[in-house]
Amino acid sequence: MSTAEWIDDDDAEQRVDLRLWRRLLVYTFRYRATTLRFLGVALMLAVSDISFPQLTGRLITAIQDDPRQVNLVAYGAAYMALSLVLCGSIWGFIACAGKVRTHVSADIRRDAFEQLQQLSFGFYDTRSVGWLMARLTSDCNRLSNILAWGVMDLVWGTTLMALVAVVMLVYNWQLALAVLASVPALFVVSVFFRKRILRTSRKVRKANSRLTAAYNEGIMGVRTTKVFVRQQENLDDFDRLANEMREYSVRNAVLSAVYLPIVLTLGSVSIALALAIGGHQVSVAGLGVGEVVMFMYFAQLFFGPVQDLSAWFAELQMAQASAERVLGLVDAVPDVQDSAEVARRLREKGDDGHPDHVGRIEFRSVGFRYREGPQVIEDFNLTVEPGQTVALVGATGGGKSTLVNLLCRFYEPTAGEIMIDGVEYRQRSLRWLQSQLGIVLQQPHLFSGTIRDNIRYGRLDASDGEVIDAARLTGAHEFISALPAGYDTEVGEGGNQLSLGEKQLISFARAVLKQPQLLVMDEATSSIDTETERQIQIGLARILSGRTSFVIAHRLSTIRAADLIVVIEAGKILEQGTHTELLSRRGHYYDLYTEQSLRDVVRIDTVLDSPAGRHAAATRASR
Amino acid sequence: MATTASDSADDDTGDRDRAAQGRRMVWDLIRGQRLRYAAAITAMAVGTTFLLSVPYLLKRATDAIARGDADLMHTVVWAAVGVVAFTAADGFFTYLRGRWAAQASEGAVRGLRHQLYSHLERLPCRYHDQADTGDLVQRCSSDVETVRVFLAAQVVEIARVSLLLAVAVPIMLSQDWRMSLLALCLVPVIVAMALLFFRKVRRLFEQVDESEGRLTTVLQENLTGIRVVRAFAQQDHEINKFLERNGEFRDLEYRLFIAMSNYWTTSDLLVFTQIGIVLVGGGFFVVQGQISPGTWVLFWWLLRTIIWPVRHIGRVLADSGKATVAIDRIGEVLAEPPESVEAVPAEPIGGAITIENLTFSYGNDRPALDGLSLNIAEGETVALLGPPGAGKSTLINLLVRLYDYEQGSIHVGPHELRTINRDALRDAFGVVLQDPFLYSKTVRENIVIGHTAASDAEVESSAHAADIHGNISGFADGYDTVVGERGVTLSGGQRQRLAIARALVKDPAFLVLDDSLSAVDTKTEARILRALARRHGNRTTILIAHRLSSTRLADRIFLLDQGRLVQAGTHDELMAVEGPYRRLWNLQGSLEDDLRHDLAEATSATPRRAVSEAQRT
Repeated sequence: MSTAEWIDDDDAEQRVDLRLWRRLLVYTFRYRATTLRFLGVALMLAVSDISFPQLTGRLITAIQDDPRQVNLVAYGAAYMALSLVLCGSIWGFIACAGKVRTHVSADIRRDAFEQLQQLSFGFYDTRSVGWLMARLTSDCNRLSNILAWGVMDLVWGTTLMALVAVVMLVYNWQLALAVLASVPALFVVSVFFRKRILRTSRKVRKANSRLTAAYNEGIMGVRTTKVFVRQQENLDDFDRLANEMREYSVRNAVLSAVYLPIVLTLGSVSIALALAIGGHQVSVAGLGVGEVVMFMYFAQLFFGPVQDLSAWFAELQMAQASAERVLGLVDAVPDVQDSAEVARRLREKGDDGHPDHVGRIEFRSVGFRYREGPQVIEDFNLTVEPGQTVALVGATGGGKSTLVNLLCRFYEPTAGEIMIDGVEYRQRSLRWLQSQLGIVLQQPHLFSGTIRDNIRYGRLDASDGEVIDAARLTGAHEFISALPAGYDTEVGEGGNQLSLGEKQLISFARAVLKQPQLLVMDEATSSIDTETERQIQIGLARILSGRTSFVIAHRLSTIRAADLIVVIEAGKILEQGTHTELLSRRGHYYDLYTEQSLRDVVRIDTVLDSPAGRHAAATRASR
Repeated sequence: MATTASDSADDDTGDRDRAAQGRRMVWDLIRGQRLRYAAAITAMAVGTTFLLSVPYLLKRATDAIARGDADLMHTVVWAAVGVVAFTAADGFFTYLRGRWAAQASEGAVRGLRHQLYSHLERLPCRYHDQADTGDLVQRCSSDVETVRVFLAAQVVEIARVSLLLAVAVPIMLSQDWRMSLLALCLVPVIVAMALLFFRKVRRLFEQVDESEGRLTTVLQENLTGIRVVRAFAQQDHEINKFLERNGEFRDLEYRLFIAMSNYWTTSDLLVFTQIGIVLVGGGFFVVQGQISPGTWVLFWWLLRTIIWPVRHIGRVLADSGKATVAIDRIGEVLAEPPESVEAVPAEPIGGAITIENLTFSYGNDRPALDGLSLNIAEGETVALLGPPGAGKSTLINLLVRLYDYEQGSIHVGPHELRTINRDALRDAFGVVLQDPFLYSKTVRENIVIGHTAASDAEVESSAHAADIHGNISGFADGYDTVVGERGVTLSGGQRQRLAIARALVKDPAFLVLDDSLSAVDTKTEARILRALARRHGNRTTILIAHRLSSTRLADRIFLLDQGRLVQAGTHDELMAVEGPYRRLWNLQGSLEDDLRHDLAEATSATPRRAVSEAQRT
């Protein structure tokens, strides 16, 4: 639904840039055998297409000349043979085009998807999921249609038209010219209308996706609508959209209703000219009636390709933007990727040439800004010894999450360097660093599938026992085993069958299962109720001990236990030290702490946590 | 929608009646356009007659040429002019037909869309609770589209082919009955084959759709979860998963193409055979001298004019079966009974809220409210506390009649709630729902939805009161910033505060905040509570809160559990007795003690250490 909105995004029609299409044609030519086979088929198709008028004309002429001499059986056999060849060619044509169409589409999609797995978050920041989806679905289909059917129609159409023209000119150049006279007009008219039809049909599609969005909003927001008595206003808004939709649809249909008759009429002019001039030649030059009929047939044969080609020509202009977007995606260079040197070492030695160990981590005058944005991190210096737990605290927007993103190398510092065991981390492979990481985010993303699948995502070869151990350690086991289907419970799309707290626990277990050398927790337990939180404290201590961890949290219990607390504001370190050290300093941490304890006021649920309440929570979860 | 016991007794017949009723509603909309349809069909009939007269002109010309008539050119030129004129005339009527048919079908569909939207808004929450949004949207979009295609294309195509046959067959018969037989002998086979093929291949179409759906899901999950993918370095796993789906979709789609090429080839072969039969058979009759060459050409040309649309009709017929299913699915929605409409009371709604022995349940299981009785005086501020599932939100839902209760009563002022018009009642309330919904409109439009006539000053002052003005001013377009997917994404706290501003701008007699401060920090909360305090005394305010701090504002506090009232009273009254409320406060107290202890330790540690160090030296 939301994808539909992005289909025609900034789809201005443009001049056809042939370089772009040549780049894309490579996809078609990958299927060389099919392409060659197709060329044969197209030729055969065109040849059998033009044989029909000749055969028909000859039969009529033969009967006209001397009815008794005609061998109707021979003609019938020839006709059937020709039909078989033609139909065989049609089969080959569709099969080849279908093969190229489906395979090119899948290839472009694959290349784009693989590229998406490499592109850094900087790329994702500026593009919504819907936008990207539209590139990989509708744009890919559109382009592959052009690259298969468009190219094939072009080959077949031009071959057929050339053959028809040549055959007609050879037979009778005057008649031929008469038939061809209306072709330029037909082409111009076709391009003119096709473009307008495409334009209105795009408007129809846009209006349609707005309508769908309106329905979606109307249904999702029905309570708000009722409570604020907005039914009439919403309906008025909706009617405006529906009227717009009707208007565009009618306009689109009317354009087609004008276009097709014009094409047919222009066609009839050719037929009529063939008839009149042919008739004239019959009376003065002894032309046979068979030839006249044959030329009328030729005239008809000519129009099919002209219409098709003009349609493709219009589509090519319209699809220019799609081509640019898709190639832009396929050719995009990731901001963060292995350096040439690292890539070389990976190729030659299989690793990046450094020990597989996360030791001391140092931030050395690290600075960062998102593209042209303001400085988020400035001159940041921090040393973390192996096994230490570092808590990052401070107001939202202070740069805590950015620091973690830099550490994970989702972004790279714009100034300074980050050293792991004395090696600048850009000297190491990206894949190595990220396979040492365990990350738990505040908004945990689960994939559709069972709970077990989701935990196992941390390490695909983990046994069921290991999955359960990880869940035990993170306090997720309890609620999971209370579910009717236990670990085999489907979490639903995006995990929407579970509460946020439950999703956090699962994503926590997923990270723990990976047994990472470096653990990062970004507000990872914010939505877990106090009761469960108390339970996971013990597990958490075990998880954090002996493992370098970065924790962003607002719970005092978590912060208090950290080896090092770093207070960050506006991308700079204000204070650092242990809990007691910082409290005794009576500085920023002290202020934050006293304020936070108020903010962390016990939620009423915990006190009134009756069996019934728990039951309600459980049924809600199982829903 | 007062559901009574008898309803469930004849649910079955009710369902059937309802389905029929829904179908009728859809057909009524279509029937409203029948004049336009009649005009379109008339135009089509006239056009078809012109189109099918062209072969007759060709016949006359051909015969003239074949006979070598003296005034040959006269006949031929007139025939040529006639061909163009007739084709143009057909074109003109085709245009009229296209225009009128489009107006008719789009008009009917517009009506259908309007009906659906308006109906969905008036369906009770009970319906929306059990309905799947995706499914409903699909009924409103894809199913309506199926009906639209049926009305705009399929009905027209069926009419066109019927007319083509209705005109062509008499023309043929008037010429020669044996040739007519020859010309039409394969037509039933061609139509039947298309019909059968598209029935059979429907499953494959569905498989392709399903496979595409799976591919899209993999794609969407990967893109929305890209951070997780990277964090766990699972790119290879993801690529493999994608490639599997991508390949599966490609192969299925290719299979569909092959199936289609099999069909087109066979059906083309039949069509060409049919034309060949006319050509060769006609040649035979000409040789026999039974028909003129002109008649031969007439049959040949006429057949080639009608055969392609006729070949297509099998597919149209097969596809049009989908429309029946779509109409039924739309009809199902339309047949659902909407919320009841009561009379609007003469005087404005206000006064005390008296709840007596209220019992309510969403489904058949545990009641959400179980004999609840409480009253809220006019102008009072009350807080509702309780664990999840205690019935707090349910009470709010009942107060604004999102649901209708069966047992007990609620009075607002002198009126029993069930007798008050829903819209009038809701107008008196300003409700901030637990998970506030914002329309994808501008910030200003979202704020004024309850009070469209609000001035800019009013909008800003309520935004100030909800402590969201600062955020809004920070947006590039200020109050004209569009929120939602296509605009600015707001945080949970911002959405809550915007929803509060939206309720405040109404200046309602009853303000309800359903856990609306959960995502804002303490300072902001305090500011908002201060602003709410200004309402104190003349307007009623109901607060549902999880945090104890929110209850400071309340005149009275109600503690709910399992749909029952557990404790009620002022803060002082409740603190005076042993009970959950006091326990709650004590717990918070102990937390603050902890804090004080921590601080004391930390601050005393330094001097003490300093002292001891000093002693040692």
